[in-house]
Amino acid sequence: MASIDTNEVLIDCQAVWKIFGDKAPAAMEAVAKRGLTKKQILQDYNCVVGVSDASLQVHRGEIFCIMGLSGSGKSTLIRLLNRLIAPSFGKVLVKGRDLSALDATELRQMRAQNIGMVFQSVALLPHRTVLENAAFGLEVQGIAKAERNRTAQAALEKVGLGDWLNRYPAELSGGMQQRVGLARAIASDPEIILMDEPFSALDPLIRRQLQDEFRQLTKELGKSAVFITHDLDEAIRIGDRIAIMKDGVIIQVGTAEEIVLNPADQYVADFVAGISRLHLIKAHSVMVPVADYQRQHPGGDIGTLARTTPEADIDELIGLTMQSDRDAIAVLDSGTVIGVVTARSLLAGVKGTTIGEQPAAA
Amino acid sequence: METAAFADTFDAWTDSALEWLGDNGEFLFDLVRTMLEGFHEGILWLLALPPFYVVAIVLAVAGWRLVGAWFGALTGTALVICALMGLWPETMSTLALVMTATSLALLVGLPIGVAAGFLPALDRLLEPALDLIQTLPPYIYLLPAIALLGYGPATALIATFVVAMPPAIRLTSLGIRMTPHEFIELGHAIGTTKWQMFFKIRLPFAMPSIMAGINQSLMMAFGMVVIAGIVGSGGLGETIYGAIRTLDIAKSIDAAIAIVVLTMVLDRITQSAARFGKGGTP
Repeated sequence: MASIDTNEVLIDCQAVWKIFGDKAPAAMEAVAKRGLTKKQILQDYNCVVGVSDASLQVHRGEIFCIMGLSGSGKSTLIRLLNRLIAPSFGKVLVKGRDLSALDATELRQMRAQNIGMVFQSVALLPHRTVLENAAFGLEVQGIAKAERNRTAQAALEKVGLGDWLNRYPAELSGGMQQRVGLARAIASDPEIILMDEPFSALDPLIRRQLQDEFRQLTKELGKSAVFITHDLDEAIRIGDRIAIMKDGVIIQVGTAEEIVLNPADQYVADFVAGISRLHLIKAHSVMVPVADYQRQHPGGDIGTLARTTPEADIDELIGLTMQSDRDAIAVLDSGTVIGVVTARSLLAGVKGTTIGEQPAAA
Repeated sequence: METAAFADTFDAWTDSALEWLGDNGEFLFDLVRTMLEGFHEGILWLLALPPFYVVAIVLAVAGWRLVGAWFGALTGTALVICALMGLWPETMSTLALVMTATSLALLVGLPIGVAAGFLPALDRLLEPALDLIQTLPPYIYLLPAIALLGYGPATALIATFVVAMPPAIRLTSLGIRMTPHEFIELGHAIGTTKWQMFFKIRLPFAMPSIMAGINQSLMMAFGMVVIAGIVGSGGLGETIYGAIRTLDIAKSIDAAIAIVVLTMVLDRITQSAARFGKGGTP
């Protein structure tokens, strides 16, 4: 885990389209040549656009969330990444290899060894025990029983189900079943895990627990994950970066902080309106330059301010401000003060804007 | 006038076609007959080998393990009653006929069912043929069979085979087609080969339906085997047919009881086997 090259692109999705319908190829051609809209394609060709011109890159070690409401094309998009659905146009490269160029055997190997998948419906085979389910991927790869059971058991222990090996899926709660699904995916030790709304059907408490566990486990194992959800809170909790989809189009890609602070359009803005900023926005986004602070507070000595890091979130900053007798906090990066968080800038952050956007002396 | 003439011509054709088949295919039909009777006699020999109480105990234990203690005890008692009525050889002969015809029906029906499950076109083609087989009165199959194979168990076997096959084909095909979509997707995502997809995903899900098909085939075979008493099938069917001709009501009721016992025992035992096929905890 120590030596993860986070710049390495594991999944490279280049201008991918998916059009469903009998006349999909003709519709695709019309889009390419004449740039028809979704509505025109439905009218003229009776075809539905699932994903339209989607580009994204997933780096090694990164958890990439795709957030969208039902019908936004997110489930189609994730299936394009392991070619459960073949794109109408565009390319998907996994570990630098174009999926459309692989033959059946190569594609099977790629799926078996490099890309794990967890489904919303869990899809545990009902006639197999928990252990046999977790070992299924390895069994398919032809690994000997003793070895695959050992690996599957280790995977089940990682998700906290070491005592349930010989039970059947029907005996497990929904949350536990989804853990088995996750164990099955990680047992094959893939670099990439595709998560298709895995926690949507669970109750809120279990869901949050699984979200945290999933994030921790993925980071611990150094895996990359693409995580589909319709819940922005979930995306923010889990994702390093988030893509927001609407009507088959990726509207915005960025960290939770970037999306909340600079929503690309009104749709995204409405979405993020209700999101609590406390843990999202970090000191480096709300601080004011040192010079500005000194101009406003002549005689204020920066050296005696309470100190914090650029990654401290608003919740921490409020705590620090409450403890301190001054109403400003110095933000230090490798020993130098790079900015100051004032009470004013903190309040702006809570509101989801930055101080620069505020009318200067309103 | 003209319609009558047409019917006469049609009948003449049918007769001559059967005659032609009988003449030219004599060697073939003799071979089929010998094979069927050999198969049947082999199974019958096996069943008649042990004394009746051994067979009764084996079936009672099977009933106990697969269905329950009560059913096991009932099975044992009912079979002993069959023996006490003096119908043991006939009961075993009927059992042998049913087992022979059903295994042949499954041998042919299951692979066709699997193929039809994968090929919707084949399924659409088979559907009307199976409908036809199942709507025609089962007696119909006795006549051409008797014309080609003669009087005896071989004719009964062929007719029973024809009647027992459709449920096996239908329910196997249905089972194969009914694999839940998410599991097909799982198979692809996890990298299964086509064979792995079939044996590890489709077949286990199809198992309850296939077992139900086997059970239905068996039940159809029991129904037909009694009717086939007319063509000299031997066994309880012939006992009942003989009793009807001599108006021996008591005897016909005895034989009917034996048939019911046999049917119920095999029905319940195969039904439980179907539940086992589903897997999971008991």
